[in-house]
Amino acid sequence: MAVETSRRAFLAVAGLLGLAACGSDTGRGGSAKGTIQQWYHAYGEDGVQDAVRRYAAQYPGAEVEVQWNPGDYDSKIVTALQNSGVPDVFEAQVKVDWVRQNRVVPLDDLLGDARGDFVQTLLESQTVDGRLYGIPQSIDTQVLFYRPSLLAKAGLTPPATVDELLEAAERLNADGVRGLFAGNDGGVAVLTGPLLWSAGLDFLDADGTGPGFDDPRAATVFGKLRDLHTGGGLLLGSPTDWSDPGAFVEGRVAMQWTGLWNLPKITEAHGDDVGVVAFPALDGSGTASVPVGAYSAMVNARSADVEAAKAFVKWLWVDKTDHQAEFATKFGTHLPARASLAGATEGTVKQVARFVVDSGRIASPARWPDRANTALSDAVSRIAREGAEPAGELRAAVGTARSEIARLGK
Amino acid sequence: MTRRSALAFWLFVGPFAVGLLLFTVVPIGWSAYLSFFDARNTVTPSEFVGLANYIDTLTDRAFLDSLGTFTVFAALVVPTTVLLSLGLALLVDKVRVARAFVRSVFFLPFACSYVVASLVWKMSLFSGLDSGVANTVLGWFGGDPQAWIGTVDPPLYWVVLTTARLWLQLGFFMILFLAALQRIPRHLYEAAAVDGATPGWQTFRHVTLPGLRGALVAVVALNLINAYQAFDEFYNILGDARGYPPFARPPLVYLYYTSLGSGGQDLGRGSAGAVVLALVIALATLLSGRLFRRRA
Amino acid sequence: MSRVLRSVVLVMALVLFALPFVMLLRTALSGGWSVFADLFTDSDVPFARSLVNSSLVAVAQTVGQVVLCSLAGYGLARVPYRHAGKVLGVVVATLMVPTAVTFVPSFVVVSSLGWLSDFRGLIIPGLFSALNVFLFRQYFLDFPGELEEAGRLDGLSRWGVFWRIVAPNSAPFLAAIAVISFIGSWNQLLWPLIIAQDSSTWTVQVALSSLLTDQNPKVALLFAGAAVSIVPIVLVFVVLQRHLVRGVTETGLTG
Repeated sequence: MAVETSRRAFLAVAGLLGLAACGSDTGRGGSAKGTIQQWYHAYGEDGVQDAVRRYAAQYPGAEVEVQWNPGDYDSKIVTALQNSGVPDVFEAQVKVDWVRQNRVVPLDDLLGDARGDFVQTLLESQTVDGRLYGIPQSIDTQVLFYRPSLLAKAGLTPPATVDELLEAAERLNADGVRGLFAGNDGGVAVLTGPLLWSAGLDFLDADGTGPGFDDPRAATVFGKLRDLHTGGGLLLGSPTDWSDPGAFVEGRVAMQWTGLWNLPKITEAHGDDVGVVAFPALDGSGTASVPVGAYSAMVNARSADVEAAKAFVKWLWVDKTDHQAEFATKFGTHLPARASLAGATEGTVKQVARFVVDSGRIASPARWPDRANTALSDAVSRIAREGAEPAGELRAAVGTARSEIARLGK
Repeated sequence: MTRRSALAFWLFVGPFAVGLLLFTVVPIGWSAYLSFFDARNTVTPSEFVGLANYIDTLTDRAFLDSLGTFTVFAALVVPTTVLLSLGLALLVDKVRVARAFVRSVFFLPFACSYVVASLVWKMSLFSGLDSGVANTVLGWFGGDPQAWIGTVDPPLYWVVLTTARLWLQLGFFMILFLAALQRIPRHLYEAAAVDGATPGWQTFRHVTLPGLRGALVAVVALNLINAYQAFDEFYNILGDARGYPPFARPPLVYLYYTSLGSGGQDLGRGSAGAVVLALVIALATLLSGRLFRRRA
Repeated sequence: MSRVLRSVVLVMALVLFALPFVMLLRTALSGGWSVFADLFTDSDVPFARSLVNSSLVAVAQTVGQVVLCSLAGYGLARVPYRHAGKVLGVVVATLMVPTAVTFVPSFVVVSSLGWLSDFRGLIIPGLFSALNVFLFRQYFLDFPGELEEAGRLDGLSRWGVFWRIVAPNSAPFLAAIAVISFIGSWNQLLWPLIIAQDSSTWTVQVALSSLLTDQNPKVALLFAGAAVSIVPIVLVFVVLQRHLVRGVTETGLTG
C-alpha cells in the first residue's frame, strides 16, 4: 500500500534508540571549543551577509562562524534556544520568557561608557527587570512610501488620517496600478501596531501589566483595515512581501508600507518622485506613528563559553563603531543605534529620523508575549480578511493576552 | 525446538521490534506524561497542571478550526482524487501506443516533493501577478487577475492547495486502479456482453465497478489518512517568514506551531493536542469498523 | 466515449500534468544557465552541502529500512512463534497512529538524546517503518516454501536461508521497496525541518523550504534549486519505474 503513506508514515513509526539517555535535558553541547556560532536572519539587502562574515573573520579573539537563516527565523531561534548551546550569539528581540527561563545572559557589563551613547528607548526595549539582555545593532523603522506625481494626478495630498489613507488607496487604484501594498496578508502583520497607535492604543497598557487594546476604539480602527480590504485598492499576491520594495519599484503600486532600509532602491527607481509619511492618526485622540524595531545581539546562556561569546558581542556591537556605522547605513538605510554615529543625514533620511524621534513606537515590547501576539494578529486577520465581527474577535484576543501577560508576573 | 524457534524469530524481528518499541511507544508515553504538565520550553517539566492543557486545547478555537480545516480539505481532495485517478486509469487502460510513456507522465509527479510542487504552485501557476499562469488563463476568458493565495473571501487558496495535492498523488492512485482493472477477469466482460449489457456505462456499472471495490476502499482510506497528515504544502504555500495565517491550519500545522513555532515551545499543550488527535483517530477507526461490519 | 473524445481528453491531461515541469524549467532558466552556477555559490543557503546531506540520509535510510524491515517481515511471515500474532498486532496498530500524534513526542526524545542538528537524529528514527514490515510480511507469506526447504537440506540455518536464498530471489520486490523508501526519504520535509536546525545538516527540502518561506525569495534561484533537487529522484524513478509500478501493484491493497 501507500507509497504516499510511506512518505508520511515515516514519522508515524519514528522513535529512538538509546532509551538510557532519555530524561536528560541537556540538549546538544555547544560549539566546538574556540569557535563561536553566530546567527542572523536573512537580511534582504545585498551586501549585509558579506559584511557580517567579514566582521566575524576579523575578530581576533576566536573563530566565528556565521549562519544565515532564511525562512521562519523567529521559530528557529525559539527552538534552538530551548534545545542547544548553538548559536552562541544571535540577533533577536528580547522576550521576558527567555529571561525567566535563563535562556539568555545579561549584558549590562559590556556597555561601559558607551551606555549613554545608545538610543535610550532602544535599550529600554531590550531590558527586563532592570537588566539589559540585547545590544541594539541598528534601528529599523517602517514608513509609508508614496509617489507624489500619482497623488497629484489624482488630486490627493499625502494622507494625514486613516480615512484619507483609505480614500487614497481606493482612488489611486487605476490603470493596472494598485493603490497600496502592505504585505501579502494585506497589512495584518505590519499595520496592527500602527493602527493601534493611530487610535491612541497600544499592545500593552501604560504599566505593562495588561493588554492595551481593551477599548471599543480598537474595533473601530481594525474595522478600517477591513474597509481597506474591501475597497479594492490593496495589492495582494505579490511575489515578494512588504519588506521588499519590488511592488513599489516596479510601479505596481502607488503607495507601499515598507522599511526605510529600502530607500536606496526606491530612490534609484523613482528619483525625486518619492515621498514618505508616518502612519497617520485615526483622529484627534490618536497619533501618527512609525514602528521602531531593533534586532539586538544576544548571548545564549547555554553557550559552551558564555564569556567568549560576550567578549565577541562587546567587540562587534560596542567597540567596533566603524563596523556598526557601516552595518547601519551602507546596506539599505537604517538608523544607527548610537547618537555618535548618526552623523549628518539629510533629505528623506533626516525626515524619517524626525519621525522616529517624534512618533517612534516600540514594535515588539519584551513584555508582549508571543501567544498574545498570535491571538491579536489572528483576530485582526479574521476581521480584515474574512470580515469577522471586530468586537467579538478582539474580546477573545484581549482574554488570551490578559492571561499570557499575567503569567509573566511583574 | 520452540525455544530455538523463538530465538530465530527474535533474531529476525528483534532489531526492528526494539526500534519500534523505543521509538513509538516511548515517545507516545512521554508525550502523554508531558500533556499533564506546564511544559513550556522544556521536556522535563516539574509543574503538574492536571487537565489544564486539555481544557486549553479543547477550548482553543485554533485547534477546533484545524479539525474543520481537515474536514474541508478531505471533502475537497478525497472525491476528486477517487474520480480523477479512476478516470485516468480507465483512459490509460485503453491506450494502445506509447502506453509506458503516458503512464510515466502521470506517475512522475509522485516522485516530486511537496516542497517543489508548492514552489511551482505558489510562485508560478497561482502567482498573484497578472503574468501568473492561472491569471493568464483567466485573462483569456475576460476574468480579472486574482490573488490566489492571499484571498480569503472567497477562499481561493483551496484551489491552490487541492490542485497541488492532486498533481502529486493522482498518478499513484491511478497505478492502484490500473492494477485492479487488469485483475478483472476478461470472461466477466464476455459474460456481460452475452447477457446483453452494452459496452460503456452498463458494463462499467455491473462488471468494472464491482471489480474495483477493494481498490476503491484502499484509495479512500489512504487519502483520508494522508489528508489528516497534511503539512508540507500548507506550510510552504501559506506559511512565511512571519508565521502562518489563522485560516487553513490543518492539525499537523497547528501542532507544529504550538509545539515548535515562534509562539513559544509549549510541549505540554502540543502533547495534549496530539493525544486528542489520537483519540479522534481511534474513535473514527472504531466507528468505521462498526459501520463496515453492519454492512457486511 | 468515442475514441476521438478520449484522445482529446488524454492529451489535455498529459499537457496539464507536464505543465508544472515546464514552468519549473522555464522560470529557472529565465535568467539564463548561469543561475545554476549561482545556485552552488550562493552564500544564503549551503545548497551543495544540502544535496550531499540528502543523499546521505536517503541512502542510509533506504539501506537501513530495507534490511531491518525485510528481516522483520520475514520473521513474522515464516518463523513459527507463539506470540508472532501479538507482535504483528502491535506493528499494525502503530501503522494507524498518524504523524500528527507522534512528531511532537519523537522530537522531544530526539532533543533529549542530543541528536538535534545531527545525522543520527535525521536518519535513525526513520529506519523503523511498520508499513514496510507489513508489506514485506505480506510478500513473504507467498514465498515458495520449496526453495527454503532446499536450502535447509543443504545445511543452511534460517539466517543463512534468508540471506542466501530468500533475499536473492526477492530482488525485484526489495528493489521496489527500496525505490519507495528512497523517494520518501529524499522528499520528507517535516522531520528534517525540526531536527536539522543548523544549516550544516539541512537537507535539500529544508534548504528549498527556507528559501520559499523567506520574505523575499530569489525566484529564479529557487526554481533552479528545485529543478536540481528533482534530478536524482527522477533518475531513480525512470531507471527503476518498472519495479516501482510492480511494488505498488504487489502490495495486495487493490484486492
